[in-house]
Amino acid sequence: MAEEPLVFEGKRVLGVVPGVPPVGDRKIPEEQESVMVWPHLLVRHAVAALAVLLIVLLVAIFFDAPLREIANPAVTPNPEKAPWYFAGLQELLSHYHPLVAGILVPGAVILGAMALPYLDRNPDRHGKTRRVAVATFTIFLVAWIVLTIIGFAFRGPDWGWVWPWIDWYGEL
Amino acid sequence: MANGIVDKVKEQATSIWGKVHGSQVAESILRPGSPFKKGYSDTPRNRSYVIMNNVLYHLHPVKVKRHGVRLSYTLCLGGISFFLFILLTITGIFLMFYYAPTAEAAYVDVEALSTSVAFGSLVRNMHRWGAHLMVLSVFLHMSRVFYHGAYKPPREFNWVVGVILLLLTLLLSFTGYLLPWDQLALWAVTVGTNMAGFVPVFGDQVKFALLGSVEVTGDTILRWYVLHVLAFPFIIVIFMAVHFWRVRKDGGISGPL
Repeated sequence: MAEEPLVFEGKRVLGVVPGVPPVGDRKIPEEQESVMVWPHLLVRHAVAALAVLLIVLLVAIFFDAPLREIANPAVTPNPEKAPWYFAGLQELLSHYHPLVAGILVPGAVILGAMALPYLDRNPDRHGKTRRVAVATFTIFLVAWIVLTIIGFAFRGPDWGWVWPWIDWYGEL
Repeated sequence: MANGIVDKVKEQATSIWGKVHGSQVAESILRPGSPFKKGYSDTPRNRSYVIMNNVLYHLHPVKVKRHGVRLSYTLCLGGISFFLFILLTITGIFLMFYYAPTAEAAYVDVEALSTSVAFGSLVRNMHRWGAHLMVLSVFLHMSRVFYHGAYKPPREFNWVVGVILLLLTLLLSFTGYLLPWDQLALWAVTVGTNMAGFVPVFGDQVKFALLGSVEVTGDTILRWYVLHVLAFPFIIVIFMAVHFWRVRKDGGISGPL
């Protein structure tokens, strides 16, 4: 005996499979699966952008950008400070010859950073098998951060040592 | 009676909006699948069209791997750097209206931003703090990429482009540092450019080219202003375009560990 034809919304269909559609993202997602950029990624972009805008706005409302006296080549401030991201370089400069601290070291760091993907032949991306690369990068990173913090906050007149909680000479 | 008028106005407004929304002009602006189009429905097909039929297709594919949208993987640092660049461009254009790059005018103009320009102080503050934040976010982005090993094949070259973008970010920030022409600006730039004088063989020439003079003067302001508002932004946009394009061509952002 033939089965009754299946009718769905007035149309005869071969069958109805329960579950999730084969395309789109209305199914249970797994790690390697794709999701639609709209809305999932674009909404995250928007939220991140608004959060950053809010932070910048709040900081800008509550803290004024510095503006000292008008530039005067006759009056040298003590200490002379570079912007914070060059404070590490300036700290290095106080220990070594400018050719070394100002040209050779930053030049080598930049060239080394550019060459990194070609020097690191290890194809693995897991931290445990990348001990040498991770250690090297981390040493540079920590050294740079320490130098920057020292140059930024711990140096005062004549580039002498100061404690930032007693005398503040950091400039932004 | 009052309700009747309100209803009538609403009805009219809806009808006018319907005509505008469905007009040839609106239809020609909004491509098929646009969520702003009349009669948009949230279907997988239209979700694809939102990207595919849009200028956004230059930046994003229709779908990304699930881990790619996870905040804990990228921390959104690259996107935040890009957003800060846009914010800095907008606030920077505003500031350009009130600033003349000469030794006589620069400082007075910057001072006037907080005394006689509506929102001048707020916009300058946003520009200053946004710039510091961008240096920080680019730096953190680079560290994140390193620790995920995301510079490995096939993404080696995009890492190189990223290093160039970091340098350009620092150059943009540093050239902007001089422009307020206060003591902070003058002496920070003096310290920075003195280093250039120690470049072997061509030291003095390099320094002169940077300063447009033998020391930091009004000529330096003009030179660094042009670099800051035109030359470096132009170069960085080109490198950003390559950077974003390579992210996609190298197979999207790197997979999870």
